[in-house]
Amino acid sequence: MHIAEGFLPWQWCLFWYIVALPVIAYGIIQIKRVTDEHPESKPLLAVSGAFIFILSSLKLPSVTGSCSHPTGTGLGAVLFGPAAVSVLAAIVLVFQALLLAHGGITTLGANDFSMGIVGPFAAWLIWKGARKIGWSSSLAIFIAAVMGDWLTYVTTAVQLSLAFPIPTFEAAFVKFIAIYAYTQVPLAIAEGILTVVVFEYIMKLRPDILVKLGVIKSEDPEIVKARTEAV
Amino acid sequence: MFELTLDGYAHSNELRNLNPYFKVLFAIITMIVSLISTSPIVPLFIFLFFTFLILFEAKIPIKFYLKFLLVPFTFAFITFVFMAIFFGYGQYVYDLGFLNLGVSADGFNRAALVFARIMGGFACLAFLALTTPMTELFAILEAIKIPKIVVELTMLMYRYIFLFLDEAINMYHSQETRNGYSTMKKSYKSMGMLVSNLFIKTWLKGEQTFIAMESRCYDGSIKTMNDFGSVKTIGIKKFSLLILFEVVLCAAVYLSAGFHIL
Repeated sequence: MHIAEGFLPWQWCLFWYIVALPVIAYGIIQIKRVTDEHPESKPLLAVSGAFIFILSSLKLPSVTGSCSHPTGTGLGAVLFGPAAVSVLAAIVLVFQALLLAHGGITTLGANDFSMGIVGPFAAWLIWKGARKIGWSSSLAIFIAAVMGDWLTYVTTAVQLSLAFPIPTFEAAFVKFIAIYAYTQVPLAIAEGILTVVVFEYIMKLRPDILVKLGVIKSEDPEIVKARTEAV
Repeated sequence: MFELTLDGYAHSNELRNLNPYFKVLFAIITMIVSLISTSPIVPLFIFLFFTFLILFEAKIPIKFYLKFLLVPFTFAFITFVFMAIFFGYGQYVYDLGFLNLGVSADGFNRAALVFARIMGGFACLAFLALTTPMTELFAILEAIKIPKIVVELTMLMYRYIFLFLDEAINMYHSQETRNGYSTMKKSYKSMGMLVSNLFIKTWLKGEQTFIAMESRCYDGSIKTMNDFGSVKTIGIKKFSLLILFEVVLCAAVYLSAGFHIL
């Protein structure tokens, strides 16, 4: 998922920076507007960012026996909205590069584009769409998390094969996708299951937070059910 | 599972008192030179040079440095093998003997270049991470006109990462001592509980922090002390050394452009 420092040729580093920057700028404007209106949301956004970082440093047992960490993009996007996540993800990626040697500074633009923009936006759209057609929140968040992850990998594979189109873009893409299919597809499903477990716990323990974040409406039958169970 | 002692070294190494602007300029410019190089020579030199600086100038223990480099090195090595086999044109110089796979000169050279660039880039990154405390980097972010809201979020996040990490470790250990990770099913349940509890706790902390800040006259901006020097305090001598170093590196990049190992 993380493209390492030095992996991409400089032209592509620059290109992905230019692509990612307008979205990050839009996210910053959004965050600025929210924090100007509600000053109490600033510490909240900061702890959310720290939460995403911790999430990505947890090791997850996977079906294939290998271990990897969740990306947190799906959960983050559903809870905080994709625009805010694009900014938080950029900050998290800098911390990951400096504290854990994951990713890098020159590849920050490319990594933020795949993990902070494409993944969260896809997850958020799927979540909204699935809720609109009346799917249960558990199913919707599962699909959102899994698809968010998969689209992140597809984006990364596209970025890598654009940088190394050998012998052609399509052939390189097939090679990169083949690797991801073996290692990451089970991981995405694992993250999907974990996201569902997490979401159901939050729903059970503090449904009011989800209502306040606008994830779920207060008159939602699932919230009403959770509330009556709590009583 | 959770290792973040890096911050301690950033605060206590021998290059700690060097002007942070100098260190950042040095690391970032060298990183870019390593990136634009078309032969593996300059990136490998950068790797060796920065390793020397980290071990003998900053006096970071070699064991810790190697641990930091283990992740990128493993990744770079896998990339090297993968690219050498799958990303080359032309005749094989070495045939693997199955599935018609082999290593061509073109693929090997490309793999060597990417490997060298990754190692060179990470040595610069390690230099930055191990010698410069985050708090000084925040001041630089502010100085290069990154929006204030982003810098503030970054500072708060940095603080909370360590607090939550502590909490996560405690929860993880107590779950583990109660056989919480003994089977796959239990692992998912435990991990789910850990993450959701962490989320609820982070939410509460966020609310409490705001109350605490507001009772201390928080007006929407966090004020910090910036006495880490500036670009101007780097000094002519160091600055010209920096320029000279980078110019020599660029010349080396230019001269070694046609070099291939195979």
